[in-house]
Amino acid sequence: MKITVLLSAGRHPVSARPCPPAVELQALRLASGLAADITGLHAGPSADGVADALGHGLSTLNLLTIKGDSDPLVSLAATLKATTPDLILAGRQAQGGEDSGLLPYALARELGLPILADVVRIDAGGEGLLAVEQVLPRGARRRVVLRLPALLTVHPAAPAPLPFTFAAARRGKITQLQGVDSQPPSAAPEERPYRKRPKLIAKSAAGASAADRLKAATEAAAGGGRLLVNPAPAEAAREIITHLREIGVLRR
Amino acid sequence: MTDTTLSLALVLYALAGFAGVAAFRRARAWRAGQPARVDWVAGLRALPRRYLVDVHHVVGRDPFTARMHALTAGGLLAGSLLVLLSPLPGLGGSRLFWGVVALLFAAMLAGGAMVRRRRVPVTPPRLSRGRFAFLPLLLIGYAAGALLVALDGASGGWLWPLGWLGLWLAAAAGLGLVNQIERGPMRHVVAGALHLAAHPRPGRFEGRRETALAPLDLDAPRLGTETPADFAWNRLLGFDACIQCGRCEVACPAFAAGQPLNPKKLIQDLVATLEPGGSNAAYAGSPYPHARPVAGRGGPDQPIIGREAMIHPDTLWSCTTCRACVEECPMMIEHVDAIVSLRRHQTLELGAVPEKAAPALAELRYADDAQGRPLAARTDFAAGTPLPLIAARGEAEILLWLGEGAYDMRHGRSLRALLKLLHLAKVDVAVLGPEERDCGDLARRLGDEATFQRLARENVATLARYRFARILTADPHALHVLRNEYPAFGGHYEVVHHTAFLDELVAAGRLAPGALALAGVTYHDPCYLGRYNGEVDAPRRLLDRLGLDRVEMARHGRRSMCCGGGGGAPLSDVEGETRIPDLRMEQAKATGAGIVAVACPQCTAMLEGVTGDRPEVRDIAELVLMAVEAAPARPTRQPEPVA
Ligand code: SF4
Ligand code: SF4
Repeated sequence: MKITVLLSAGRHPVSARPCPPAVELQALRLASGLAADITGLHAGPSADGVADALGHGLSTLNLLTIKGDSDPLVSLAATLKATTPDLILAGRQAQGGEDSGLLPYALARELGLPILADVVRIDAGGEGLLAVEQVLPRGARRRVVLRLPALLTVHPAAPAPLPFTFAAARRGKITQLQGVDSQPPSAAPEERPYRKRPKLIAKSAAGASAADRLKAATEAAAGGGRLLVNPAPAEAAREIITHLREIGVLRR
Repeated sequence: MTDTTLSLALVLYALAGFAGVAAFRRARAWRAGQPARVDWVAGLRALPRRYLVDVHHVVGRDPFTARMHALTAGGLLAGSLLVLLSPLPGLGGSRLFWGVVALLFAAMLAGGAMVRRRRVPVTPPRLSRGRFAFLPLLLIGYAAGALLVALDGASGGWLWPLGWLGLWLAAAAGLGLVNQIERGPMRHVVAGALHLAAHPRPGRFEGRRETALAPLDLDAPRLGTETPADFAWNRLLGFDACIQCGRCEVACPAFAAGQPLNPKKLIQDLVATLEPGGSNAAYAGSPYPHARPVAGRGGPDQPIIGREAMIHPDTLWSCTTCRACVEECPMMIEHVDAIVSLRRHQTLELGAVPEKAAPALAELRYADDAQGRPLAARTDFAAGTPLPLIAARGEAEILLWLGEGAYDMRHGRSLRALLKLLHLAKVDVAVLGPEERDCGDLARRLGDEATFQRLARENVATLARYRFARILTADPHALHVLRNEYPAFGGHYEVVHHTAFLDELVAAGRLAPGALALAGVTYHDPCYLGRYNGEVDAPRRLLDRLGLDRVEMARHGRRSMCCGGGGGAPLSDVEGETRIPDLRMEQAKATGAGIVAVACPQCTAMLEGVTGDRPEVRDIAELVLMAVEAAPARPTRQPEPVA
């Protein structure tokens, strides 16, 4: 199985020094359980910080050099179209500053691949198939069987990264390739007037005891709603609309 | 010369020849190791002194053993040497000469009896059985036999039937002893003597503090020690010198806590790997407590660590690097060097670090603090106390190195006490603040030499920008690293521990503590201050100046027991039966003291973590502050000389 792991130029949240984002190293760990030969792919001006992934189980890093403000999507898509890996792994969100977490989706659209988010476990599932465990909110997990090729993003709840190995990082190969310079991803951000968002925490009656208020607050946080297993689409839609009305998101 | 004495001399020549062959064959095992620079001339010249002074300083802590060894070894070597010289004209014919020889072998016989006596009625657990149980019989046989022959010589041949009997006895037992050179207890004679001459840390014998780890060449093709052949040859020689006396085993805190480490067995496992197809089956001493299963096989070119090899990783990571084993070892073996070298390979080449150590090392790599805390938050503990940054002034008389303990709420209390005292004594002090990175102690002991070296270089570069007379620190780990390990990276500083510094201030009359009326206090020596740096007097002197009723634990000073906090052991967290700090606290409690005085953030944290009814834990700085605040007014005292 040919696996490519997308690596971003992250920064340490406290020291701001270049540092690979933990969730991408976790993706590397998941990948190293599936295949021995994993390629890392990064589009950016340099390999600062990114190269340390070579100490966490990555054997080769392909660096697509582009200008600092270019949109990496163009270069990544071009390379991935050419190399056609069976599996592309990415972290759920990069950690370099203004990272939106949208790149994996944009890339999947560009490549015409299915994307599955927030994966914590991957097993080979027979010829051309993968058995994947996906994180849902509030601790729920879902098992999914998926046909390759596909793009998966990894969730921070996946197993911890393999420990850094200085000697492996020293041995690792970095291949420099010319990327495609392009326009910065988006121009000026769109501005809109402020609108107060509806509170999702249920209110308990004023003057209720602290325990009641706590109960109300935590119950709302715990979802409240109803769990429907395999509902009919129409029924599900009705249920959602009712819920949104209840919490005041839909007015009519 | 009588027939029997002449025959004994001939037998001894033969035995000496065999011994030489056996030693030579064993020497081939050491040659598997890496080359090492050894000053043979100086080493051999210093050998008698190293043996008679340094070794016997260690052996002499147990007077029975010291006498036992002096009699046995002295009698054996001197007696046999004289017999070898006896064919010289004028010697062997003298009855007086044989009288002297008889006396020497009588001494050896007494020594041999003492060797046996140690195992009666039962062999204590620290001593090995197997070949070692056989040794006293061989010693007694050889001594008794040679004694009979010498008596025959001294009597001028009158006792010839006894003489012949003795000759056979001496020859048989002597062969047994020679046989124990290649594999057995007698190996320590040959390897031990050579090890003393070719010791990898010769400075130990010249009164220097040789406790700094040697820097690793990070460009070497293979990092750290994977196989025995990766050790320097004189390290292999050192392992071979082990006489399995078990002193290290008794001193080891991890062993006492039931963790799978026994330094004696560790050394024996390394010895077992020196031969191709080596196995740990012949070892007959105490095992690793709760030993994890391993294959127990090895060879000069096979990996040492691993479930399929000789030593389980849990054994390696149990060590607190407290150096108690090194301090106790009469053969001057350097266990900690070996352990760290093996750890370096695990960490740097295999990335096989304990689970909780990996995130700490990652934070050190990217944020210069083991928990990824902002460096600027290091001074938060001071909370209002003025704490000048050296960057604002460029110089200060005293640079205060805060260490990672400063982030800890409990140790912050000790540091605030220290700051207040410095303020009262009007010391010109400043801190690096956000420029202070972790000193690298944790990374280094966990085998991450790359991170340590980076931190060391960056700290040295920072310190080079400022002018200060001395570095003051309340953290013995930082003290050790800054004082002893940074010189290899170009940083030479005068580093003083806060206990020594406060002692100076009180002696100079700059602080005037009143007498403290507290329940008795016992002082727990931090390993990195006492054993690593030999500073055991200043803290005690200081406590005495406070008028405290000081009692000692059985293990104190350089022979103190570790709190369990060093060497990254709290991160490795290898499971045992009890916790090391619980054991140490028991010892403190046994003195009846109401307070355990500490002088290290790790010790504070470990001992404060002990639950139940126990003495209180106080940093010495806190006690001094209490005493200063208890003093009625501030009388002006005459300065007295610093001791
Ligand atoms: S290593 Fe040293 S202290 Fe330990 S058993 Fe061997 S000789 Fe004795
Ligand atoms: S350094 Fe301390 S913990 Fe490590 S083996 Fe020696 S005595 Fe045991």
